[in-house]
Amino acid sequence: MRPRLTNSCLVLAFLIGVPAFAQQGHPLTGTWSGDWGTAATHRTTITLVMNWDGKNVTGIINPGPDAIPIASVDVDYANWTVRIQAEGKDSAGKPVHIEADGQLEDIGSYHRTIKGVWQQGNEKGEFHLTRD
Amino acid sequence: MAHCSRWLILGLLAALSAFAERPFSSTYDDTRRVSLKGAVVRIDWVNPRAFLYIDVRDSSGETANWAVEFGNPIELERAGWKPGSLRIGDVVRIDGFPARGYRNQAFARSVVLASTRRRLFVVPPKTRVAAHLPAPRWPDGQVRLGPPPGKKGYWAPTANALVETGAGIIPMNRDGLLLNISDAARVAPFLPWAKAVYEYRQRTRLKDDPLARCIPAGGPRQFETPNGFQFVEQRELGRILVLLGGGDRNWRVIYTDGRPQGQADEVVRSYYGNSVGHWEEGSLVVDSIGFNERFWFDKGGLPHTEALHLIERFTRPDLNTLKYEVTVDDPRTYARPWKGGWTMEWVPGEEIQEYFCEENAESTFLR
Repeated sequence: MRPRLTNSCLVLAFLIGVPAFAQQGHPLTGTWSGDWGTAATHRTTITLVMNWDGKNVTGIINPGPDAIPIASVDVDYANWTVRIQAEGKDSAGKPVHIEADGQLEDIGSYHRTIKGVWQQGNEKGEFHLTRD
Repeated sequence: MAHCSRWLILGLLAALSAFAERPFSSTYDDTRRVSLKGAVVRIDWVNPRAFLYIDVRDSSGETANWAVEFGNPIELERAGWKPGSLRIGDVVRIDGFPARGYRNQAFARSVVLASTRRRLFVVPPKTRVAAHLPAPRWPDGQVRLGPPPGKKGYWAPTANALVETGAGIIPMNRDGLLLNISDAARVAPFLPWAKAVYEYRQRTRLKDDPLARCIPAGGPRQFETPNGFQFVEQRELGRILVLLGGGDRNWRVIYTDGRPQGQADEVVRSYYGNSVGHWEEGSLVVDSIGFNERFWFDKGGLPHTEALHLIERFTRPDLNTLKYEVTVDDPRTYARPWKGGWTMEWVPGEEIQEYFCEENAESTFLR
């Protein structure tokens, strides 16, 4: 019991100090995790990995065997609004268009966020992503 | 539970130490003034910031404890001041700038001993070394970047922030904060995202500066941090060490053994990058790649990516002068390569003093 408590405390103590390792390059570069859904009780976990290559922000949604390549990321740098588009598949394997419109907030923070509206096929709901 | 608390306190200390070297502009509001009078109850003479604590009684009779920052101990000691220059119980008058966000904290413009009206902790402005002696040289005639044989000395940091050569005078304060944000486009040839990030950092008064969290700062920033730097030329080993007196008190290695620069995609990303140098017409020319994205390479908040490639040229025309020119090439951040630089001065007869960024967190935040 004691080791588990110690480990938990170590993890918590480490997390408090985590902001020291912030990525200071393009604000979208990195791994983002969160969820989207049509209701608070109907959420789907999502992970986005994005990278600025000097011309475009590229990336994938949900890395792994079912990864979805991101088709485009448009950023309005005047107000840090973001539009992410991708072509995925639904549970039946049919093509489905994904479009997320969000607001990048607190861009100087390591744990910056993107919040907005996620549309996947005919479903639409709010999403929230935090940079890991 | 006590066992857990110990770890939590350690974590909290780690997080708080992160704020040990915040830019002045993000900590204090120099557009406002505060006047205080009270008895000294504690003195923290710790680098990089010295604090005194006074109990101030307001008009209603309530007593509040104020933390007053009054300088850098290294500079204070150089001017002849000591922790014993003020004693516990002395009553002082403070004129200063209040802190942003924190109650009961200020930066002292003046500290006056109430009993004698003597002004304490005055640091006179540094005077430039008048004598222009020739640059010291090795027996083969190559310029030495360190002190002459048998002497001491180091290079003072620059007061400048990096801007593109030819941009003209861009008014900034000592933290690299633009006095007019519309000058941002003149600082460097930013890509749109980079200009937006730079402006964000400027508008938020550099509050997210990684150096404030004691994160190492590579590139030109290493020559902007307090307390100066020193070159140690190890010719027999084919390398030059740059010892940094400020920031996180780190060092950088410049290889001068003729090895080629690595491939950008093979170099392990680091704060100081992979540096190879050679001598060219009396100047040390250093090529650096392999930077990570965890730091600001200038105190004003210039952004960069892992594609950053720097070419630095160090020229010592005489004993007291070091010209620093840097070419910044990062096509993911800037529209074209650009140059900037400044001149640094020799501090003769002294060694870099001990300084640790992580210290003083308690003085600032654990009150």
